[in-house]
Amino acid sequence: MEFLRAGSVDEALAAARDGAAFVAGGTNLVPDVLFGRKKIARAVDISRLDELRYIEEADGKIRIGALATVTDLLDSELIRDAASPLYESALEFAGPLVRNRASVAGNLMDASPAADLAPPLLAQDAVVELASAEGERALPLSEFFLDYRKTAARPEELMTAIVIEPLGAEDRCAYYKLQLRRAMAIAVLGVAVALRMNGSVCADAAISLGAVAAVPYRAHAAEGHLRGREIAEAEIEAAAAAAAESARPIDDVRASAAYRKKMCGVLVRRLLRKALGMTQGVVA
Amino acid sequence: MDTYEIKFRVNGNDETLGVRGDETLLRALRRIGYVEVKLSCEGGDCGACAILLDGVAVNACLMFAAQADGSEVTTVRGIGTEDDLHPVQEQLIEKGGVQCGFCTPGIVVSAKALLDENAAPTREDIQRGLAGNLCRCTGYKKIFESVSAAARQMTEGGDS
Ligand SMILES: Cc1cc2nc3c(=O)[nH]c(=O)nc-3n(C[C@H](O)[C@H](O)[C@H](O)COP(=O)(O)OP(=O)(O)OC[C@H]3O[C@@H](n4cnc5c(N)ncnc54)[C@H](O)[C@@H]3O)c2cc1C
Ligand code: FES
Ligand code: FES
Repeated sequence: MEFLRAGSVDEALAAARDGAAFVAGGTNLVPDVLFGRKKIARAVDISRLDELRYIEEADGKIRIGALATVTDLLDSELIRDAASPLYESALEFAGPLVRNRASVAGNLMDASPAADLAPPLLAQDAVVELASAEGERALPLSEFFLDYRKTAARPEELMTAIVIEPLGAEDRCAYYKLQLRRAMAIAVLGVAVALRMNGSVCADAAISLGAVAAVPYRAHAAEGHLRGREIAEAEIEAAAAAAAESARPIDDVRASAAYRKKMCGVLVRRLLRKALGMTQGVVA
Repeated sequence: MDTYEIKFRVNGNDETLGVRGDETLLRALRRIGYVEVKLSCEGGDCGACAILLDGVAVNACLMFAAQADGSEVTTVRGIGTEDDLHPVQEQLIEKGGVQCGFCTPGIVVSAKALLDENAAPTREDIQRGLAGNLCRCTGYKKIFESVSAAARQMTEGGDS
């Protein structure tokens, strides 16, 4: 395997051909290569491209550089204040040793159905920016995941930034990672909800789910039970049922498909109630 | 097979070595004698290979050695010496936080990184700080107590 450290974004783009893969933190790629799960002809090291490592507010949006690490998310007041589900997902992500290297773009590019950062980013209408020698383009994250570990990015494309809509003080949100233990665990299920309320009427709703289908996704049918409506128990029940209905989970060592599907409804109900500050009812 | 000459400093020593593109930093460090960095799962799960890379605690098994070209690496032996132990090392001995010792180099690295950022960690902070390090012997209780005592020793300058 050839190794090439890119000194600039342009150098990285020029080197991205003939079976090359970018390596950022390496937390996925290095063991994949070591254990033969991935064969690559050339690793293009982007981990020193400091110009891709930032978290900033620009034009009313939050821009996260591709190389921002999960630790950087936790160190960012902007993320804590205006992207709290993402902040909470970072808290539940692996352990400090991995968080210090794991990049946000690497998490999305790896395209695991259980990628922890995907549900919160989807809930904040993330757009990903991709660059190649041919030019740049931007794509909603909801159109980025195509199938199990398959993305819309071409092999030569570098993810440069992830842009999200900030949550305001009036927005209601919640996040939960269901996992077998509180650290170093792959999600059994990940859920993020964000509601924009206008009094008791829901002006906009986002519900996103991870680890219950081939890709992380927005549960549009569930959101439809909330958007534009006055929210009471019936709407929450309908949204929870629709979320569970949308899930297409698999059986694996962590949980059965049936359990995941059931918990999908339970957690969406619980998180909507939590986001809205409703007292916890009996959980079915 | 492509090889690359890289340079880095390990515990203050300048090292120049040839590495294969796909050689991990963990394997390269051990190959040139830094065997205190332990090789176990090679998948990021156990933390036995933890080192400080430019002051940040990371798993040496999760990066290519060539990615560390030009960096400063600190292993457990760079954190304290036999004659001048770091408080974490002192307290691990004092409180019985070491049994077989295989996890200890990684524990010391993670604990030092934690205490550098948080001088008075709660029990939960310590648990979270060591979440990436497995120990199959101690049951963790004595390790947590050791780190707690080290924090007190460092802030109070006294023993505990
Ligand atoms: C022990 C352990 C625990 C983990 N725990 C979690 C967890 O709790 N939650 C979770 O979601 N994940 C977890 N992971 C997975 C992994 O750490 C994350 O997915 C991480 O965010 C990957 O980022 P990276 O920078 O290390 O990516 P790398 O390994 O460097 O790259 C991953 C993939 O993305 C590509 N890539 C990276 N950056 C770019 C870019 N900018 N543009 C284009 N392609 C790019 C690479 O070519 C590669 O295919 C864990 C991994 C380990 C080893
Ligand atoms: S050997 Fe690196 S984490 Fe286990
Ligand atoms: S002391 Fe044996 S693994 Fe920790």
